[in-house]
Amino acid sequence: MRRAGLPLALALLAGAGAGASSAAETTAITGARIVTVSGPVIEKGTIVISGGKIAAVGADVTAPPGAAVIDGAGRTVYPGLIDGLTTLGLTEIGSVSGSVDVAEIGEVNPHAKAWIALNPHSALLPVARANGVTAALAAPTGGLVSGQSALIRMAGSTPDALTVKAPVAMHVVYPTGRPPFELARLFEEPELKTFEERQKDKKKNREKELRRLGNLLQEARAYGEALRAGGAKPDLPLQSLAPVARGEVPVVVRADAEDDIRGAVAFAEEHALKLIVAGALEAWRCADLLKQRDVAVLLSVDRLPRRESDRYDAAYANAARLHAAGVRFAIVSDDASQSRNLPYEAAMARAHGLPAEIALRAITLSPAEIFGVADRMGSLAPGKDANLFVATGDIMDHRVSVTHVFVDGAPQSLETRHTRLYDQFKDRR
Amino acid sequence: MTRRPPAGSVGAAVLVLAAAVQAAEEPVAIVGGTILTVGPQGTIEKGTVVIRDGKIAAVGKDVTAPAGATVIDAGGRYVIPGIIDAHSHTAIEAGVNECSDAVTAEVRIADVIDHRDVNIHRELAGGVTTVNVLHGSCNAIGGQNAVLKLRWGKGPDDLVFEQAPRGIKFALGENPKRSNFTVPGVRRYPATRMGVEAVIREAFEEARAYEREWDAYGAKAGSAAAERPLPPRRNLRLEALRDVLDGKVLVHAHCYRADEILMLIRLAEEFGFKIRTFQHVLEGYKVAAEIARHGAGASTFSDWWAYKLEAFDATPYNAAIMAAHGVTVSLNSDSDELARRLYWEAAKAVKYGGVSETEALKMVTLNPAWQLGIDGRVGSIEVGKDADIAIFSAHPFAPDARVEATLVDGVVYFDRARDGSAR
Repeated sequence: MRRAGLPLALALLAGAGAGASSAAETTAITGARIVTVSGPVIEKGTIVISGGKIAAVGADVTAPPGAAVIDGAGRTVYPGLIDGLTTLGLTEIGSVSGSVDVAEIGEVNPHAKAWIALNPHSALLPVARANGVTAALAAPTGGLVSGQSALIRMAGSTPDALTVKAPVAMHVVYPTGRPPFELARLFEEPELKTFEERQKDKKKNREKELRRLGNLLQEARAYGEALRAGGAKPDLPLQSLAPVARGEVPVVVRADAEDDIRGAVAFAEEHALKLIVAGALEAWRCADLLKQRDVAVLLSVDRLPRRESDRYDAAYANAARLHAAGVRFAIVSDDASQSRNLPYEAAMARAHGLPAEIALRAITLSPAEIFGVADRMGSLAPGKDANLFVATGDIMDHRVSVTHVFVDGAPQSLETRHTRLYDQFKDRR
Repeated sequence: MTRRPPAGSVGAAVLVLAAAVQAAEEPVAIVGGTILTVGPQGTIEKGTVVIRDGKIAAVGKDVTAPAGATVIDAGGRYVIPGIIDAHSHTAIEAGVNECSDAVTAEVRIADVIDHRDVNIHRELAGGVTTVNVLHGSCNAIGGQNAVLKLRWGKGPDDLVFEQAPRGIKFALGENPKRSNFTVPGVRRYPATRMGVEAVIREAFEEARAYEREWDAYGAKAGSAAAERPLPPRRNLRLEALRDVLDGKVLVHAHCYRADEILMLIRLAEEFGFKIRTFQHVLEGYKVAAEIARHGAGASTFSDWWAYKLEAFDATPYNAAIMAAHGVTVSLNSDSDELARRLYWEAAKAVKYGGVSETEALKMVTLNPAWQLGIDGRVGSIEVGKDADIAIFSAHPFAPDARVEATLVDGVVYFDRARDGSAR
């Protein structure tokens, strides 16, 4: 069963296709192990999808007459995975700048909106989807204020069709005070400065950048009031920042070092911002603070520890430590082409102390809660959008295959650029 | 450039040091685990591995721990051969690339080993015991690689895998032609795949001519004629390439596209040498039959793709397709981070293309060992081989698997339970 792999997956999909369950029709997956996430695991049950929503789920539920039935015996049904930090839809081939729309020129781009530049025909989306990812946060990167993110679904042929919610957050890179990386600099003579001098420079730069950001927020607040009074000239950056300054739109601050995370928390408090920390390599060093201020964290697991003196598994065990401290967090790929490996990042956290059910929650319901869409997705419950998938076993097991994916009740093809190349070349002699 | 003593004498010194640390003359027994030997003995439930003098002395179900042995209880755990990473840049002091010329065959990674690189420790914690530390892909013919055993805490020379054959890095495609970066003020030939081929061809023509020069000198010097000929001037770059022509140096060729893979096979066969491994080889699946016929191995990523144009036709089925065509396939990291979870990279070969679990595990153990010419020493749990072993909390492919202990030459270099204090 585990080695079913692709041919079986395609055959099953074809079978489902024959039942032709569009979003408007009814599909039932029967006799499956159902991992609801919001409730207990149903060891053998049925889930009914109708009108794009989950109509029923339970051990005693039966397939309604006329429903397309998928035999789920020996299979596991999961809510669609939500990758809480990606550049999906904004990038195609990393080294080909013409295919990359992730970072605008300049430092302050609050008016750069991810949902404007989504490419619904990206080859990367079906690849993520084929391993169970049905939604992702598409976020701009770079600069000081990178821009605004959108939560996207992994199906649809226009940017609007992809967009579930926008904006979700304003994205900021916490200023480290280091000058931005430039390849050319590598070939210059290094400046002769002592460690202390360099630390002082960094601190000065960082404070300058934070003041700049603070001033922007103040202006944005004033701008928002002027706008309401009808007396504001057009200013796209301030207009975009105004809801952030009012605390209506959360701000995702990318910060890895303990000092930077603490700095971000202090800054958010000073400006009354709704803070989410991303990256968060050293979040475990300030877990109590994050808990106390109720700061959510978007965590990527498969990283090297920040300090040589750290335990080898500092990044792997980060999630377990945040969980123990009661911090809200999601596990994210922080990537685009590797988004399909999201369940394996959760697995690494699980292998290093995070309870299995929390690891799964961190890639389903927890990101849905952090982004304010838990009423629609993240778990298997009646009334929720039918974003779900069927797998041959534990989705955190690398050997397990996904056999069916539904987005808003519509069955999705599991064909990808990768399966097509496989079919084209596997038998070439 | 100074010359190293022969590798053999380094090896002898290492065993003496290992003895000092853990009294290697006393046997070690790993008892009660499920042993995935990756060798002829297959899987052994509740088996025992006995280690003497850093070597595997006995393996089996009915084997008992000898008297006086240090016993490692592996009950409920999985015992596998130490993982081998066929593409690493760990433990290199500063620069990975000697970029200044299109051919730099004379430089050697073994001269710049940073034995204090903490990633040695971190990779041990991922069950890795041997790494192939390669020169970068900046030039068509790069420097010579160093195969290292992760004897964390030992000096640079002690890390070198004694008796591992010499090897060299080649690179094709976007990197040597510098498609994705420019060095300010410097333009360097080549800038096309045509130029990459021409650089390699020219280098081997020169190496052939150099070899002829020395042969002619040898013939004259050996004759009884009164005239004493002058030896040709030594050229370390051409000497290394001559050794490639003579089959003494294994070629590890960074490549992506199918056409450049075929180009190098053609060129190597014309000059009469073999490519030992194609590295990355993301389009290897398109020409798997040709790679198999040449007899090269393929060392690839499990599923990296889309980071550059030549990586856009990648597919995670690459390993499975190449293996099905008879290519010896390994899965590598090219990354200090990924190197720590190669066991899960192997598991992906089961998912993508239905490779058996044993064959998948071979892709990070016995297959890379063959690719580096050290499969007689490591890569499986067999009597007589080096006791390089990783002990996992669960089946290495399982989602809660983590490494509990790692041994090199029978010496415990990583022990999760004692990690906090031992580091």
